[in-house]
Amino acid sequence: MPAMTPSNGWRMIPMDMNMPMLPGLEGAVPSVGAFLPGVGIDLASIPLARPSAIVKWQRGDTLDLSVSMVRRSIDGTEMLMFGYNGQYPGPLLDAIEGSTVVVRVRNEIQMPTTIHWHGVRLENQFDGVPGLTQAPIEPGEDFIYEVKVPDAGMFWYHPHVREDVQQDLGLYGNLLVRSPDPEYFGPAHREEILVVDDLLMDGEGLLPWGKESSTHALMGRFGNVMLVNGQTDHQMETKTGEVIRFYITNVANSRTFNITFGNNRIKLVASDIGRYEREQWTPSVVIAPGERYVVDVQFDKPGETVIANTIQAINHFRGEFYPHVDTLSRVMVSSQINEEDLSDSFELLRENQEMIPEIENLERHFTKAPDYELETLVRVENLPTPIVISMESDTLYVPPMEWNDAMPMMNWLSTGKEVTWILKDKISGLEKGDIHWEFEQGDIVKIRIFNSPDSFHPMNHPIHLHGQRFLVLNRDDIQNQNLVWKDTAILPVGSTMDLLVEMSNPGEWMFHCHIAEHLHAGMSFNFTVREY
Amino acid sequence: MYTVYRVAILGMSFSLALTTSPVTLYGGEDEGMCVEAGVPYYSFQLITTKNIPGTGRGRGSVEVTFSDNSPFGISVTSDGSYDYDLKLSLNRIKLRGEGRLVAWVTTRDLSKIRRIGPLDPYYQVNGSVDWNKFLVVVTLESNDGGNGDKWEGPVVFRGMSRSGMMHTMVGHGLLQEENCFAYGYDG
Repeated sequence: MPAMTPSNGWRMIPMDMNMPMLPGLEGAVPSVGAFLPGVGIDLASIPLARPSAIVKWQRGDTLDLSVSMVRRSIDGTEMLMFGYNGQYPGPLLDAIEGSTVVVRVRNEIQMPTTIHWHGVRLENQFDGVPGLTQAPIEPGEDFIYEVKVPDAGMFWYHPHVREDVQQDLGLYGNLLVRSPDPEYFGPAHREEILVVDDLLMDGEGLLPWGKESSTHALMGRFGNVMLVNGQTDHQMETKTGEVIRFYITNVANSRTFNITFGNNRIKLVASDIGRYEREQWTPSVVIAPGERYVVDVQFDKPGETVIANTIQAINHFRGEFYPHVDTLSRVMVSSQINEEDLSDSFELLRENQEMIPEIENLERHFTKAPDYELETLVRVENLPTPIVISMESDTLYVPPMEWNDAMPMMNWLSTGKEVTWILKDKISGLEKGDIHWEFEQGDIVKIRIFNSPDSFHPMNHPIHLHGQRFLVLNRDDIQNQNLVWKDTAILPVGSTMDLLVEMSNPGEWMFHCHIAEHLHAGMSFNFTVREY
Repeated sequence: MYTVYRVAILGMSFSLALTTSPVTLYGGEDEGMCVEAGVPYYSFQLITTKNIPGTGRGRGSVEVTFSDNSPFGISVTSDGSYDYDLKLSLNRIKLRGEGRLVAWVTTRDLSKIRRIGPLDPYYQVNGSVDWNKFLVVVTLESNDGGNGDKWEGPVVFRGMSRSGMMHTMVGHGLLQEENCFAYGYDG
């Protein structure tokens, strides 16, 4: 039962005054203890974090990567956070497809940790899942990862121990794997990295996380401060006509972004593990936690333009959608015109010739019946009664996506002790960790996942498979017309998607929702791919 | 399973309500939950006005799916609104007399109206909408709806997107059990 007054280290979460607190919840705090890192440590003794540096990976290199406490100043508040090699985000690892690099990780924080190389089809023992592929790296200990990168794409690395805490505190970085083909992408004047994130803060700094279990278990921990590359005031300069290639990664715990680039046209080029079948224009980039997208944008008019998260948020109190814009970055476009005119190549929508034979080889599997069927559900128990009453009464409509935390107090009070998120195998009836699928290397497996609206509080889920790649074949019986290899895909409420998974990489792997709080509230299971 | 000591809960006042409820809420098995499963979840019914002879016993539905040209898992516009494809169909119609049935989509305050188009001989038509809350209206027009800025004939069927049922917490329903379709629907 929650305490009546903020205590045990909890501070009241920031509320949106348009959405008053439910009567009966005054003074309530989560049923778990509060956690903030580095309690008792003199902040001044902690080194100031540095911006991310680029590390060019050469075949056979060894990289030392420390996991340590850093001092950050965000919105004028100094606080203790975590960093890889003291940087925010962690170093940008820039590698060539096919290379292998040794990464020697040293844990200098006061929690166990690991590193998961998200999307990389690497050797299983280096996948970074505690209790499955390795023991957690305890404080003061080292672990050596051999990271082989067989695919071109934008990947990222993060802990797989209490991601809701460690990743939120700054443990994330990109791994950009380049194709040796110089014409892999069309021409662009330059490249920019956009790592989008959000933090939940008040005037004193970061709001505590749950100690024994995650808070915000219903909807995930949405932040109220937007970050791009760890900065709240990200900005760029460019010339008129310049084509910039953006590599976008969403490292937020729960927030899906709808990223717009002012009135500038956006050409979608690639996603998690490589290029789309065909480049295409898009009005915005919808990116869920864990996903990556590569887009080319031409800034064709001088002046200031804004890269923004542009959404229709929900106000449950008034039962309304309302437009909401978060500025992510300001782009100053000078009137100086770039000497190299890339307008013609920017207009061109290229086809990915590499993908054609890959798709042809797989097409015979497209129409087969699903090999497995999953359903997503949630169960809750012992939530405070006002939450149950209000949520029960608000179940006539569940939005496909939760773009904002429309019920901050109720969400905060729900922890992993009260909320269980479930992946249910519809054929066996097994749920969560009781599911265990076995495959042989080379199997092509069709998995149908249905995000049931028929539960207490359904929500969108970014579904992530470790160690393999997949195609999203269909959504709600509508065939996907432009395929791309993925490792994470968003599943809106009420939707069904069919994944065609290429079980190419032997080992013990994880299948889970990439909303950190859903993962820690049970939404995962493991599967085996036996070596052929 | 869906075990709720509903009477006890509903009898409580909020001021006394900071207790954990003896509730285990499961998904999927309770018929009383006001939801449907699968694609139909966002689909909705069209209700006859009974104003036009031959349509009084008619039934209609609008199937709502995300636009199929989105490369993402969901289709939204640049202002964040959902971008839906609509498949409208009517049945049990025996339309007598002159005129054509034409489908429209409009905002709830009728401030914006877009013409979907005339229904085909099977009383079906496809369209799209990029508003989060909307009404679909079928009218009887003397022609095919003209340029489509506004209907002129009588309304024959109408229905509201499921999002229109999003509750206000200051309005109806917070402490009541209500039929999901008690808002002009045929439940």
